[in-house]
Amino acid sequence: MPLIIKDEYPEKLFREDGKRLDGRDKYELRPIKMEVGVLENADGSAYIEWGNNKIYAAVYGPREVHPHHLAKPDRGILRVFYRMATFSVFERKRPAPGRREKEVSMVITDCLEPVLFLELYPGTAFEVFINVMDADGGTRCACTTVAALALADAGVPMRSLVTAVAVGKIDGELITDLSGIEDKAGEADLPCAMTWFNEELSLLQFDGSMDLDEFSKCLSLAKDAISKIYEIQLDALKKKYIEIQEEYSGGEKKE
Amino acid sequence: MMNIKRVISTIEKNYILSNLKKEERIDGRNLWQHRDWSVKSNVIASAEGSAEVSLGKTRVITGLKYDVGAPFPDLPNEGVCTFMAELLPLASPLFERGPPDEQSIELARVVDRGIRHADCVQTKKLCIKENAAVYILFVDIYVINYSGNLIDAGGISALTTLISSKIPEGIWENNEVTWTGKYLSGDTLVNELPIVLTYGKIGDIIFLDPSLPEELVCDGSISISVTEDKITSIQKSGYATLSIEEIETLSKKSMEIGKKIRKDLNLWQYKR
Repeated sequence: MPLIIKDEYPEKLFREDGKRLDGRDKYELRPIKMEVGVLENADGSAYIEWGNNKIYAAVYGPREVHPHHLAKPDRGILRVFYRMATFSVFERKRPAPGRREKEVSMVITDCLEPVLFLELYPGTAFEVFINVMDADGGTRCACTTVAALALADAGVPMRSLVTAVAVGKIDGELITDLSGIEDKAGEADLPCAMTWFNEELSLLQFDGSMDLDEFSKCLSLAKDAISKIYEIQLDALKKKYIEIQEEYSGGEKKE
Repeated sequence: MMNIKRVISTIEKNYILSNLKKEERIDGRNLWQHRDWSVKSNVIASAEGSAEVSLGKTRVITGLKYDVGAPFPDLPNEGVCTFMAELLPLASPLFERGPPDEQSIELARVVDRGIRHADCVQTKKLCIKENAAVYILFVDIYVINYSGNLIDAGGISALTTLISSKIPEGIWENNEVTWTGKYLSGDTLVNELPIVLTYGKIGDIIFLDPSLPEELVCDGSISISVTEDKITSIQKSGYATLSIEEIETLSKKSMEIGKKIRKDLNLWQYKR
């Protein structure tokens, strides 16, 4: 039986005053909040609130590989597990991981691998667990961003951070950072991630239709947005150490 | 990061034991004290109800989703409320990926039974049309950080989630369910507040709310769910055995502690 309230989208994705449905300008990001070291038990962890997205990421490793046959004798492996909570979406998601979750896990693994020095860790695995507790569009980008932070928090040697954002097209206009509705009802969605050590794209997917001019405009919009998010990412990473520094300034713990 | 292993060192075990013998705990509590509670409700926008509960360093997030479906044939005018728990591998190096294991099923079932037998969720109010359409509520508990005693934290978070929920109200019209534009508020669906309390047992010492190191050295544990004046479920787990006197004392103790927690946490404040 269908749910009592239907999952319907409005016909127009821009309001009369030219702003988007959530009141943003075309190239405006949603509010983003990041924090590292949020989970006690993990080797490294991070939390991100990106609009209504609420995501935890935890890193364990380098540790033994289970099942053992996946281990590589000459290098470590990176395994990413992207999972959504049953209540994170409009209609309850089944608890077992679906095809979409497995694909996104793989995409994020491939995206993060270039920044790691896996050849230094033969026979081991780094496992990144990402749990989306609340979802509202752009989760794969938010997850990539928060996973990179968690790896950094775990002290895993990295060439650089990775930052991701989705750009796209709604009602014929190019926009930055699609929300859930814009993602579902819009015309095009282009999630991408940048590895900062070479400033190249390491995650790129595209759904929809766009001409070549629009496409290259999109890529430059993405680059602008990614730079802004990178600053927030760096601040989050530094904040943990600034806090420790303040707490222990002068070699003694302040009361 | 903490160094967490399934096996605890003898020296730490002896330290925990010698403290307990003096009726003290390694974290400074007495035998009948919970770690600090923190309860937040309405944390997930996509869920119809939600709660984030910490008990010491144990942290769980619970959310409620609903569905409309056919009732069970033997209960044609009652809705259904189900519980699920997932021990996320991000919560502890002791948790592994994969389908729910014994520990997570036990967590969901103990929380479920405590609530089910307590006249807590008014399932008759969850009926839209007899024999045709009822609400099916899914209360899903996710463990974010594991530091012992998931059951007590899971129980409080499930209750808070139910109380804080807002479910679209449907009526039966032309053989289908249509939305009235209003919401059912969780606090009208919940009657009693069953509190589940877990005690650890080592040798002949019994104590409330085992933390992770205590849980690892425990011979076993017992979880008792209580309402204002009744016991609604008991689960003994682990290889410990309990005497009849011990169980009677614990039952009495549970009533007292249950009352105190109900007062301290004041869960009704989370209604929306």
